[in-house]
Amino acid sequence: MNHSRNMEILKERAEAVQVVVTEVPDPAQAWRYAVELTQKQGGAAIAAPGWDPDSLAALEKECAQAGLGLYRQNLRDQIGGFHTGLTRADWGIAATGTLVLESTSEDLRLATMLCETHVAVLPRSRLKPDSLSLEAELAKLMGEPPRYLAFITGASRTADIERVLTLGVHGPLELHLLILED
Amino acid sequence: MIDTAQDLKEYKKRLKNALHNDFLRQTLKNFYEAYPAGRARALEGLDVQGLRAQIAACKDQALPRIEELFETFKTHAEAAGVKVHLARTALDANEIIATIAKDNGVKKIVKSKSMTAEETFLNHHLEQEGLEVVETDLGEWIIQLRHEGPSHMVMPAIHLSRQEVADLFTKVTEEPQEPDIEKLVKVARREMRKHFLSADMGISGANFAIAPTGTLGIISNEGNARLTTTLPRVHVALVGLDKLVPDLHTALQILKVLPPSATGQVITSYVTWITGATECTTAPGGKKEMHVVFLDNGRLALARDPVFSQALRCVRCGACANVCPIYSLVGGHNYGHVYIGAIGLILTYFYHGRKNAQAIVQNCLSCQACKSVCPAGIDLPHLIKETYGEVLRQGYPKPFKNKLLARVLKDRRLFHFLLRRAYLAQKPLARPKGGLIRHLPFFFGKEHDFRSLPAIAKTPFRDMWSRLYEKVENPRYRVALFGGCLVDFVYPEQGHALIKLLKGRGVQLEYPLGQTCCGLPAQALGEKDVAREVALQNLKAIDPSDYDYIVTLCASCASHLKEAYPRLLEDEPGLAVKVKQLTDKLIDFSSFMTTVLKVSPKEFQGSRKKVAYHSPCHLCRGLGVTQEPRDLLAAAGLDYRTARREDVCCGMAGSYSFEFPELSAELLRQKLDAVEETGAELLVTDCPGCVLQLRGGMDKRGAKIKVKHIAEAVAEEKKG
Ligand code: SF4
Ligand code: SF4
Repeated sequence: MNHSRNMEILKERAEAVQVVVTEVPDPAQAWRYAVELTQKQGGAAIAAPGWDPDSLAALEKECAQAGLGLYRQNLRDQIGGFHTGLTRADWGIAATGTLVLESTSEDLRLATMLCETHVAVLPRSRLKPDSLSLEAELAKLMGEPPRYLAFITGASRTADIERVLTLGVHGPLELHLLILED
Repeated sequence: MIDTAQDLKEYKKRLKNALHNDFLRQTLKNFYEAYPAGRARALEGLDVQGLRAQIAACKDQALPRIEELFETFKTHAEAAGVKVHLARTALDANEIIATIAKDNGVKKIVKSKSMTAEETFLNHHLEQEGLEVVETDLGEWIIQLRHEGPSHMVMPAIHLSRQEVADLFTKVTEEPQEPDIEKLVKVARREMRKHFLSADMGISGANFAIAPTGTLGIISNEGNARLTTTLPRVHVALVGLDKLVPDLHTALQILKVLPPSATGQVITSYVTWITGATECTTAPGGKKEMHVVFLDNGRLALARDPVFSQALRCVRCGACANVCPIYSLVGGHNYGHVYIGAIGLILTYFYHGRKNAQAIVQNCLSCQACKSVCPAGIDLPHLIKETYGEVLRQGYPKPFKNKLLARVLKDRRLFHFLLRRAYLAQKPLARPKGGLIRHLPFFFGKEHDFRSLPAIAKTPFRDMWSRLYEKVENPRYRVALFGGCLVDFVYPEQGHALIKLLKGRGVQLEYPLGQTCCGLPAQALGEKDVAREVALQNLKAIDPSDYDYIVTLCASCASHLKEAYPRLLEDEPGLAVKVKQLTDKLIDFSSFMTTVLKVSPKEFQGSRKKVAYHSPCHLCRGLGVTQEPRDLLAAAGLDYRTARREDVCCGMAGSYSFEFPELSAELLRQKLDAVEETGAELLVTDCPGCVLQLRGGMDKRGAKIKVKHIAEAVAEEKKG
């Protein structure tokens, strides 16, 4: 199956679990998206761990202009203080609409678990058709502990009361996926 | 605390209450009706049968190697800074975890869902040790606050309404809470955050323990497992030894089918893979204090058991409860102890003892719905019967019917003598026409009055056989009819219909008179020895080498011959060939008519009579025959109207309907309602047992719809 077909499947599957999928041509657009979304939702700060210094500089500028806080590390001290978690996704799995995040860093985990809205940026080239086509990479990572890997498919959800689907019981209420050209 | 009925009398009382709990009934019914389509959608495009076979094979290969897999896991996890423990018993596990808590100065524990911790009653133990334990899965939290056990393995609070949850949360928060689900979930989120941030230790379960890397895999929707394994400084995972898998590949394969089977989701929101002690800034040294406690509690011995080891293939998806007609009527608190559903009826005996298992294990229709969806390919109805057999062997007082059956069934002459006697005894009760009994004999209570019972025929089929027999010159096919008790002694007209349809087709039909009951009733009562004895007699009576086909009119007999005989007679080397020939030559009536004789519409009148069809459990799931009866109806010129859920059990299930008449009546009611909706004038099916139930029920409700065996209906359409 070719790449663009896989991309369609990813979108379809992700949207089926209420993920908001958007394509962005460059990182600057991704930063803008996260900032505007945070503003729109009335958030005060973004947690963005794990980005390289160049990306951060650009993001910092956007946040400063918008009057938003930006946290890059020591997120334990900021629990409750950030609205948006802005992270990369290491892989996408088309068949299930899943994002794979190498989350060994505690900051990365906290950003994705304790935010209200999670914005994940997936480089287009990092898409795989199904979990088995990622098996070798995952097994390799597991062979180099410590390692905390997360499959994320949609927002936190429960159907524990009368089987009615409700989002955001523990983790984020929303998941936004930005597919980045690369 | 969980309190499971320990005897049938108490159990039946509770079943009755459950049947009258309208909220529970409606919730379960909605789920039961919505689930199959959800599951099918989520599995779309997957080779489900192939995956099931792979998972079964992987698990079966891993089971004899559990100890080796454990050592491999331990080596790798310990190298990555994790302490690995092996608990022989439930108490061991609880004590190990309590000690870890003490050694680390823990006061408060947050817990994400773990059926294994339910199995050991871990919360109770930790609370007695003075620790505060908070369940963080919403459903688990709700039942923890209500001091109840789960009523479903995946949706533990499915038995509760939003109003009940609102009342509960009002008490807990000491603020009024509305019965609005979204708001209630927000309350839980707020309350739970406080607990997560103040807890010293997190306890989780795991769905997978991947041996070669020492990795845990945890599936969750809410994300509480992620918080539980991340926020507190100590993490303990309690994992059954059966969760060990030889590689990531196996885990990924299971992951493809587990969420679809559980809730009809393609995948859960989160799957977390943890290898080694990861970063934790609040822990001394910046590293998580991590422990994995593996629980044996009988699993190693179970893994070596020739019959029951396959129960350890279970991946805890809950599908066997989701599709169970009985679960849908009575709910999880009446259908398991800790483990719920078909697998619960089995595991309760092994993990929580005979007393908790002995009543619930009898409440199974053997309808095979669970078996047909189990992603691990476990033969659940078979293991349930085997479990009942064990319960009897371990001293549960044998019911009178077992003793009677054991005495009578082994002796064909005595059995048939008694059936003939029964004809005389019922004479004053029988209605002049229609073959039904007018009043139930005095020893039946009024709960049995939901259907009319048939009268035993004046002349059994076997007694007419010498007159019915016709010699066919140069036959195309030599065929033996396996009649079964109902055709022989209650519905000989179904045999006549077969004879009428075979006429002029070059079929030499034989009815070997040495044949007797197929033995299914014995198996259903856990009497394996009796079942084996009659199987031997039938093989002696019908030598499969003499025939091209062995045709049955009874789906239950056929599926029992096909599935159970090889198992019952596997220790008889000389018989293996005969059994194999028997099962290879066995064919149900509809398949014989359509695929062997290839009947065509030209031979029938084409009356276009409106018919509905009931798909017998033992035909559609037991033998996997679904299309042939429908093809036959079409060929016979009948106007087949589909009904809702044609493949759900009619509630007959042999002696089940006598043991649990209220449940049987309810299933029958639902079935007949669905049939009436179709506007059919005739209901057909291919099992005399189902005919008994359906006809008796139609008669009781005074409906105009006639009920017939498909052979009778088709024979009536024959030209000339
Ligand atoms: S027995 Fe099969 S269907 Fe039932 S929970 Fe286990 S894996 Fe699922
Ligand atoms: S065989 Fe039928 S009644 Fe028995 S447990 Fe399975 S689904 Fe339920």
